[in-house]
Amino acid sequence: MESKEWAPDDELATLASDPEMMGMFVTEALDHLGTIESVVLQLEGTPGDAKLLNDVFRPFHTIKGNAGALGVTSVQELAHKVENLLDLARSGKHAMGPDEFEVVLQAVDLITIMMQELPARVAGGAASDVTARREALMDAVDALTVGGSSAVPPAAVDAAAAVAVAVPEAAAGGPPARRDEAQSTVKVDTRKLDNLIDMVGELVIAQSILAEDPALARSADERLGRRLSQLKRITSELQRNAMSMRMVPIRQSFQKMARLVRDLSKKSGKTIELVLQGEDTELDRKVVEDINDPLMHMVRNSVDHGIESPDGRAASGKSGQATLKLSAFHEAGNIVIEIQDDGAGLDTDRIYAKAVAQGLVPEGTQMAPADIHQLIFQPGFSTAEKVTEISGRGVGMDVVRRNIEALRGRIEIQTVRGQGTTFTIRLPLTLAIVDGILLGVGAERFVIPTFAVRESLRPSPAQVHTVHGQPCMIQVRDRLIPILHVGDVFAVPGARQDITAGTVVVIEDNGRPVALVVDELLGKQEVVIKSLGESFEGVRGVAGGAILGDGRIGLILDAGGLVGLMGKGAVRQAA
Amino acid sequence: MDVTVAVEDRGTQADFVAADLAGKYLTFALGAEEYGLPVLKVREIIKVMDITQVPQVPSHVRGVINLRGKVIPVIDLRAKFGFPPQDYTERTCIVVVDVAMAGARVMLGVVVDAVSEVLNVAAAEIDHAPEFGDRVTTDYMLGLAKVKGTVKILLDLDRVLGADRRFAAGMG
Repeated sequence: MESKEWAPDDELATLASDPEMMGMFVTEALDHLGTIESVVLQLEGTPGDAKLLNDVFRPFHTIKGNAGALGVTSVQELAHKVENLLDLARSGKHAMGPDEFEVVLQAVDLITIMMQELPARVAGGAASDVTARREALMDAVDALTVGGSSAVPPAAVDAAAAVAVAVPEAAAGGPPARRDEAQSTVKVDTRKLDNLIDMVGELVIAQSILAEDPALARSADERLGRRLSQLKRITSELQRNAMSMRMVPIRQSFQKMARLVRDLSKKSGKTIELVLQGEDTELDRKVVEDINDPLMHMVRNSVDHGIESPDGRAASGKSGQATLKLSAFHEAGNIVIEIQDDGAGLDTDRIYAKAVAQGLVPEGTQMAPADIHQLIFQPGFSTAEKVTEISGRGVGMDVVRRNIEALRGRIEIQTVRGQGTTFTIRLPLTLAIVDGILLGVGAERFVIPTFAVRESLRPSPAQVHTVHGQPCMIQVRDRLIPILHVGDVFAVPGARQDITAGTVVVIEDNGRPVALVVDELLGKQEVVIKSLGESFEGVRGVAGGAILGDGRIGLILDAGGLVGLMGKGAVRQAA
Repeated sequence: MDVTVAVEDRGTQADFVAADLAGKYLTFALGAEEYGLPVLKVREIIKVMDITQVPQVPSHVRGVINLRGKVIPVIDLRAKFGFPPQDYTERTCIVVVDVAMAGARVMLGVVVDAVSEVLNVAAAEIDHAPEFGDRVTTDYMLGLAKVKGTVKILLDLDRVLGADRRFAAGMG
């Protein structure tokens, strides 16, 4: 034990003097830990795979080396122990079994915590005391390396370790075989990236203003025309590239789920096979960040509530091994993420009974099964009989839905009793761009996202119905739809007052339609969404601003907010 | 309080240190009056451009403009200070400034009638803004500068606009 003593504060001197280096060390280590985790999970399936073993060994070695160089002894020692174990496995002297994998994953977790807390510790802030955990883990590794393969005496372990140090360094000298697989990447501050994307957007606008300049349009100079179209090609290519920099594959999120499922299945005693599909599907960086929590919660839910115990599965004639499938793919301009289990399916009767018991629906309400399933998204709803470690952490499906809606996405449920449940999340391709319809009202331009629009029409006088002399509704086929005059709501001077002279765009939110009265439709356009900033938070009916082709800003209308405005108006009229 | 009364009731006079305020100011006109902004707060001056209105905000919030890819709010100081409205002219400018709104730095456009010059104001030329009773609030004045026979009102923009953290807040 004495040899493992380390003073938590002594080892930080080097780092404290160079915060930048510490930052690089931490991000790099966390990256490596992520790699290790995902490779270990693959390795569990094929424990003898030498290439995978190498892929676990190498990053561990790098972490150890960096930690040693910077004097972070605590991390170095732990990484060293695990590296020894892996090296024995690599040279065929020690077989990797469940215990070994467990130890490696625990080490990954612990080092992750130590890394995340390192900046706080250096700054003298509070950090969790991991000493005991670290010691226990190091003893566990020792027990495995010594006890697990008695053929290898402790001395040989050290010798092996010495060799291990040399090997990867030699490998690093020449290009390793799989170098090409690992894409070379550069870390860039996201603010710089966003600025770049802003400026590229401006460039595109400046280019289009130039191209449409009347002086150029009049000119018959062919050479000038050719040069302009060359400029246009380059700018649009640049824009496509800039936009793609915001996109990242969903792989990382999925890999986190792989670890989660592994741990959950250990804890719950349910055997679960996780199938991942479409990990390379790319989506907006922000979406990937924000989808993690909802995804994690839904996976937990599936394991905890959806998938039955092995006995339960046997009783209903299913194979003892449950399947949980996570897939991501593109569909009709959306990203779709599916979480599919072959568990028990939603228990419609129980959900209904719970909802009644929790006062979410009045007793005796007649509801379609699909509507009952929607109840699980209600705040305060929980079917968990008991709060387990796995679920019931106070985050409900209502939070999941809210998070997904905040990303302008939707969530759907398909469930068959006894056969399983599929949750389908539909998300926009990117948060930065929305496909919109450009509306003209007076001299102002508005953008309404295409997904909210049901139809547009020029109403005949017979379709417009008045209440107290005010035009309030239009009749579209046999539906009466309330009217919202965009010119009035947004106080646009010069907006057409006569509804039949303008165009009506029917939008819908949550099944409630509203007919927007505008002067004219100006066409479809993909626009870049810009936030109006915190100053304009609380303005209802506006989702943001879009910079239009002429450099001006058009407000992007928010269907939900506009429908909400209707409600407010109705209350005011009634009062 | 007794002490304050003794010093001929000059309110926050005690906090007022003219030397802290000496420096360069961008001066501009609103009606017949001259105002000054600390030049370090000014990012740039642009010609007035099409401003996109935003609904449900006070009338002095003119809307938003596109400043090279960034959407920034625009405030009309005439309206904010209760001057009668006036059509924009050739000389009307938007002064883009950095303002602290509830702790965050925000870029903001301010519409003024005309920009005059950058003026070096010495400590000796700066006076504390006196109380004018209820007619005019002086909370957001840094002080008054007497330069070349005219008085320039030095503005603390953080205070002029800081209260407006959320333009639409009052609308529920």
